[in-house]
Amino acid sequence: MNRFIYYLILVNMFANIVSTAPKVLLRHTTDGAIPAMVLGLIAGLLYTQVFIKFFNHFPGQNLPELLKSYTPKWYYYPTLSFFIIMWYLAGTLTLVTFTFMLATFLTPEMAIITMIIPYLMIISYGILMKSKNLLYATEVIFLLFLPIPFLTFSKAYFSSHLNWDVVKVAMMHSNTLPNFSSFTASFFTFAGISNLVIFNQYFTKKMKFGLKQVLIVGSISFIALFTTYFMPIGFSGFEHISSLLYPWISTTDSVRMKFGLIERLVFIFLLYFVVIAILSMTIHWHVSARLIQSIFHSNKLKVKNIDLIPFIIIIIFSSIAIFFSLTMTEYNLYKFASVVYNIMPLFFSLFLITMWLIMRGAKHEKS
Amino acid sequence: MKRVKYKKFIFLCIFILILNVLLAGCAFKDIDKRSFVVGIGIDPAENDNGKYKVTLKIALPIGSIKQATGPSYAYLSHESNKISEAIRNMETRSDKVLEFGHTKFIAISKDLVGKEFQGFMDYFIRRGDVQLVTWVAATSPSAEDILKVQPKTEAPSSIALFNTFDGNGTDSPYIITTHLFELRRDYWNNGIEPVLPLITTNEKQTELITNKSLVIKKDENPLQLNTPETLYYNTLVHHAKGYSYKILGEDLELFLNIQKVKVNYKIHVNSSKAPSITFKVKVVGTVLESSKELDTAKLDDYNKIASKDMKKVTEKLLLKVQKENMDPFGFGLRYRATRLNQKNTFSDWEKVYPTIKFDVHFDVDLQSIGAIK
Repeated sequence: MNRFIYYLILVNMFANIVSTAPKVLLRHTTDGAIPAMVLGLIAGLLYTQVFIKFFNHFPGQNLPELLKSYTPKWYYYPTLSFFIIMWYLAGTLTLVTFTFMLATFLTPEMAIITMIIPYLMIISYGILMKSKNLLYATEVIFLLFLPIPFLTFSKAYFSSHLNWDVVKVAMMHSNTLPNFSSFTASFFTFAGISNLVIFNQYFTKKMKFGLKQVLIVGSISFIALFTTYFMPIGFSGFEHISSLLYPWISTTDSVRMKFGLIERLVFIFLLYFVVIAILSMTIHWHVSARLIQSIFHSNKLKVKNIDLIPFIIIIIFSSIAIFFSLTMTEYNLYKFASVVYNIMPLFFSLFLITMWLIMRGAKHEKS
Repeated sequence: MKRVKYKKFIFLCIFILILNVLLAGCAFKDIDKRSFVVGIGIDPAENDNGKYKVTLKIALPIGSIKQATGPSYAYLSHESNKISEAIRNMETRSDKVLEFGHTKFIAISKDLVGKEFQGFMDYFIRRGDVQLVTWVAATSPSAEDILKVQPKTEAPSSIALFNTFDGNGTDSPYIITTHLFELRRDYWNNGIEPVLPLITTNEKQTELITNKSLVIKKDENPLQLNTPETLYYNTLVHHAKGYSYKILGEDLELFLNIQKVKVNYKIHVNSSKAPSITFKVKVVGTVLESSKELDTAKLDDYNKIASKDMKKVTEKLLLKVQKENMDPFGFGLRYRATRLNQKNTFSDWEKVYPTIKFDVHFDVDLQSIGAIK
């Protein structure tokens, strides 16, 4: 399997395990988070498998092209619009979550608007980039910052103040029925593979997703989910854990680096979170923008051969995001996140239908 | 073609220059406009102005470490019903912003521990800028007095209270360190009770003495552990090690230096037998001081004497906390951690714990008697 596909999966996974996913999971410690996580893991792997299998049939082609050539107009316009909104919301969710987080922990005295504008500038640049360059950028940034989660996780696991008995107490609560929103939250960590809808145009070779690849992705995501759920419990306790609004920030703040350059690990971790969140947002918005561009293209909106559509998209995206981050409260944000997560199964089934239609169309054409 | 590149370069330069405007550092406030709070003390109010008396210990900047004779601090106190109210009031008395990002010590008067906890503990966690690795300690006399103690050994640019707890300075097995997050975790978790170090001072208020501790339970008076009990608690739970384990035999008095502690316990709650906890401890150490001449060949005998005495002290400690129905060792947590959760898992345990039997086994392994007989 192409290494860029791993990056697509992992960036989304890492961005999720520190933002809203643990918040949703830790709300259901006593009513079914653990079985939901197990189901989410299995479903996520299945989802990845189906996705890769599908795109293997059409190497080097992205989804809008496929939709245009094999499905009727009345189907592909609404479907694409739905996808555009989904991708945009996924990016915006990360943006708002992390703006709030930084406002609480890093710069409590700064206005939200001054915080968000620099990030929007960087993300806008990501939207303007060529998709291929964005993939390269993802690789460089992801690998450069990989030592930080390693440091954080190992520091947390080996901390003498981590209480494993509490972790075991949490495990003993696995004899419940799975909880739906926990399931979707853990399923959402696998959503990164969906970005293939655009990036597949650069993957011209057949991708293999055999046992080895399943094991790699499966074990990484198992460790990620395990850490994201049990580490906050080990540090902040089983009872009253749901009252923590940023479980992962609290967890990293509970780890002290005795001989570190910075004693508080949380600031190093925040740096990582900023980077990975920006990366994930850029990818999501980039895909959303490319999907929009596949629908709208007009020669009137060109000045000196420069297409103005991406710039219009950036302005619209940014203004909606600014509006969201200025008007939303923490509670709204949590609701917003649950809605985005809960749409995921719908999104997935729509995808299955789309895939089936495209496959049928392709077969018809051949015969 | 070249012209285009040139233009792009100019554009990039201008863009980077514009970005500079956004760099302001320290969220728009310079370091000399902030005063760093290093410790917070909470006492019951002396007058009728409110419930709490909050004291802040603020580190004053010094020009040069070479010239300074000792650390200099400023103290602010205010009485109020709420911590935030008191802090807001103190802000009006300071010309700078009070910065809590470097606060690493919270002192709580012994009289407030346990009862009024919820009222102010949430505040520190809600703030977000107070570190969760802040050390929390109970104090007697008041928190204000302890914060104001300036030991003679305190050098400029170092804070004695921090050195006591951070494990880089003194490393005594009598010192229990409890971080803010641990306090919160154990306070809310069913099946374990948090333990706070109790800091006292001498009459002249020139020393900080940290060798006692308090076990805290929701809505109850705290249970004080005296100095040897604190030592044993710290050894058994936090695997503290070091000097000064006093062993009393029939005609022999030994002082041990313990290098390694391994604790293992199992809870047996079956219907057939009376419920019990087997508590197995393995200790590796050396002899440091003795009342009599020692013999290397008799190490096994000393092992037995030490095991017997340590067992006695441990049993006493376990029974003491059990009698008060407190659980600083986290037996209840272990009980919950070893069986699938049912509706009444914890209430079952609460019924069992007051009557449970302790079966303590000590295995002391002394490796040397030092340099002389």
